[in-house]
Amino acid sequence: MSRLRWLTLLSVLTLVIAACGTPAATTTTAAPTTTATTAAPPTTTDGTDFEGKSVAAQDCGYGGKILSIEATSQYEVTFTLCSPVPAFQQIVAFNVFGVQPEEHLEATGGAPLADPIGTGPYVLDAWNRGDSIVYQQNPDYWGDAPAYPTLVYRWGTESAARLLELQSGNADYITNVAPSDIATVEGDANLVLLPNRAPNILYLGMSTGYFDANGAEVVHEPFDQLEVRQAFAMGLNRQQLVDNFFAPGSEVASHFVSCSVPNACTGDPWYDFDAEAAQQLLADAGASDLEVTLYYRDVVRPYLPEAGPVAQEIAQDLSENLGISVNAQAVESGEFIEAATIGAYSLYLLGWTADYPHITNFLDFHFGEANPQFGATYADIYEPLVEASALADAAATEPLYEAANNAIRANIPMVPISHAASNDAALASLEGGVSPVFGAPQFQTMNPGKDTLVFVQNEEPISLYCADETDGESLAACQPVIEGLLGYDNDGQVVPKLATECVANEDSTVWTCTLREGVTFHDGSTFDANDVITSWEAGIDAASPLHVGNSGVFEYYTYLWTQLINALAG
Amino acid sequence: MVNFLLRRLLFAIPVLIGIVVVVFLLVRAIPGDPCRSMLGERATQEACETFNRVNGLDEPVPVQLGIYLVRLLQFDLGDSVRSSRPVMSVLIERLPMTIELSMSALLIALLVGIPLGIVAAMRHNTAVDVGTMAAANVGVSMPVFWLGLMLAYLFALVLKDTPFSLPPSGRLSAGASPIPFYEVWGWTAQPDTIRGSVLEFVSNFFIFNTIITGQWAILGDAIKHLILPAVALATIPLSIIARITRSSLLEVLGSDYVRTARAKGALERRVVSRHALRNALLPVVTIGGLQLGLLLGGAVLTESVFSLAGVGRALVEAIFARDYAVIQGFTFVVAFGYVLVNLAVDVSYAYLDPRIRLE
Repeated sequence: MSRLRWLTLLSVLTLVIAACGTPAATTTTAAPTTTATTAAPPTTTDGTDFEGKSVAAQDCGYGGKILSIEATSQYEVTFTLCSPVPAFQQIVAFNVFGVQPEEHLEATGGAPLADPIGTGPYVLDAWNRGDSIVYQQNPDYWGDAPAYPTLVYRWGTESAARLLELQSGNADYITNVAPSDIATVEGDANLVLLPNRAPNILYLGMSTGYFDANGAEVVHEPFDQLEVRQAFAMGLNRQQLVDNFFAPGSEVASHFVSCSVPNACTGDPWYDFDAEAAQQLLADAGASDLEVTLYYRDVVRPYLPEAGPVAQEIAQDLSENLGISVNAQAVESGEFIEAATIGAYSLYLLGWTADYPHITNFLDFHFGEANPQFGATYADIYEPLVEASALADAAATEPLYEAANNAIRANIPMVPISHAASNDAALASLEGGVSPVFGAPQFQTMNPGKDTLVFVQNEEPISLYCADETDGESLAACQPVIEGLLGYDNDGQVVPKLATECVANEDSTVWTCTLREGVTFHDGSTFDANDVITSWEAGIDAASPLHVGNSGVFEYYTYLWTQLINALAG
Repeated sequence: MVNFLLRRLLFAIPVLIGIVVVVFLLVRAIPGDPCRSMLGERATQEACETFNRVNGLDEPVPVQLGIYLVRLLQFDLGDSVRSSRPVMSVLIERLPMTIELSMSALLIALLVGIPLGIVAAMRHNTAVDVGTMAAANVGVSMPVFWLGLMLAYLFALVLKDTPFSLPPSGRLSAGASPIPFYEVWGWTAQPDTIRGSVLEFVSNFFIFNTIITGQWAILGDAIKHLILPAVALATIPLSIIARITRSSLLEVLGSDYVRTARAKGALERRVVSRHALRNALLPVVTIGGLQLGLLLGGAVLTESVFSLAGVGRALVEAIFARDYAVIQGFTFVVAFGYVLVNLAVDVSYAYLDPRIRLE
């Protein structure tokens, strides 16, 4: 037999042996050290027995905010908290905490990534990967039915392409209109601009230092000096920046949090622009010949639609106003986030868009004791925040947030630049078109005047199991199908959804939610308290067999409730 | 011929393995990690430790490489960390779109570029020749991104409500979806089986699927959506093919045997088509093959402008998301595609020129 044929035979044999070899190693997870799910005493309603479920931590020592969630009857769920959470309803209204049937979660092994079943006004019809998601009207919806039968989600990364879809009539509603296209939309009688009012902040971060991979402390001189940080705070012409680069409706930030959020604008407003005083401060600090790099990532965000031009403008503005050398440098997004969040950059551009409409979502995350992104942390900032986060009474928290805002101003860990307005756009013929303050547009309240409403967003969703997603596109795609106990209206106010009300006890450590009766899921099963418990258990209990999801991290559960139950076992 | 094919395929194996290893190591050298790419500014150290553990990214790199290579030999390209779906599933969805788009673009490029090159060669040093080559220069210089948006603007907006209007993006109209041929024919296609995967892969060729099942409305819709991206994508290869055809034909037309054919009284058209063109097409075949390989792996700009879910866009998204398995798997497939295309080009040489023996 020729050499070539021997070689061929040998290669084929090798491939066959490899293919029939032992399976690749699989990742195993440690068995949970504790199991905290217990059955509540049976409760009878309408003559039928009901065995309520619950999920609980052994005690509050695990560090999280939730002690237990219990189905106290077929249509009542009780949340027992380790300490008062003043933003409880605002957090629960976030659609990450949507409810699906317990049988469906169990059948999918805790990962209904492409087949969510909910109680929403729409039923998922098809996910045509890469192209579109099609929803059909839910004929058994408990609320007001949509005026049209079919809703289609599509996506396009290019804003120009999204606008073309709208102008050509192939889409009814698009997100994130580029600033350069606003005039086009406003000049077209067939289109209407829909301002997005979600609170956000763009800030110039300054880190005093960080700990490198070897644990060694790296000091970012001269940003460890307050005078230098104050010079930057006063040396940036924020008004000029907002006027030149941001959409109409954007405003210069007087405080870190937009004044639309209660208690956000207590305390003194930010420093006025004063280049002369800023230069003097730098001279006093001995930093007049400073050379520094301004790091940024060139991605589109609601708080920063045009990162590159804005960063270049900031660099040039600071260079001219302070008489120093500032060079803007774009860094790839993943690398940027990794470095910025540990304080590795002395000067960087970053921002934040609200997850829920409460001041804790902004201040506690950024200025908490454990956050290293600004290097040093300041007790006069985080101590009032910790105290305020334990108070349910908004009036009682006002002096604490005033103290925190004043401390932020005094310590200057960053320079708040702007609260940016972003814009959606829609056909003028779309009735009820409005961009909500939180969440995706509520298409069930709109009427395109035809059978199908087409919505175009930036990206394809990663999955449709929003309990384990953080990107806005996935959260938007869940919204037509999945509902939680509470939700938001278009103005960002909390409204009842699957719960008719959630009432707190005197010190707001126990919240009792009364569930809506007579609601059915899209698969025909009846909604009750056990579905709530199972849905929450899958997210909050790291030891639950349903704690699978997509990434397995359930980041919003961790971040909004501080810690997962049984986290060490997960 | 068989020995030649076997030898070429065998030699491709170490090349492909080398590519896989290089890509595997390169993507892990990129700053940033999948966890922070996915979770963004809300990523915490604890969250990323959990994420890495769940996705097997906490193992040493050599161990990860070994696991990946063993899986690769079992035709397992791993799972996307972003969507938790097998890379093979993503490929089955995305590759047909790219192949359809690339083949359409190449077809346009060949059908228009070769005749243009022939006309330019036959009318050498005339206004037609100069004009054709100037147009080719413009074509090769135009950014595909810009051209795509201009075409979409023209046909979707300017010509809106006319018989010439075309959709600006997408693969089908909103809500439209072809029925897979196996469903129409009553076949079963179990997911996660080889048969099921093959059937799904073939059904994702919308043009082919709708032709064989007679879904004429969907076919028309799919073709309408394919026209603009195919034309935009074809512009550069069309210009290159026109130039190569012209220069190659000019060279062949100056040969002794062509002069003999003319001397014997053959019509110019017959001289070109029967005697010159076949020899002149050899470099065109080479360029066409190279262009197809480029199109298969690099139509990302066109796919982005026209919102088409193809391989190029998936690869770019995976790079930004540090979705290692998708990057590795798609790169491997594109590399394999190059191998097959080059093999097809070499085999075609033997058909075009009997003097060439495949050894």
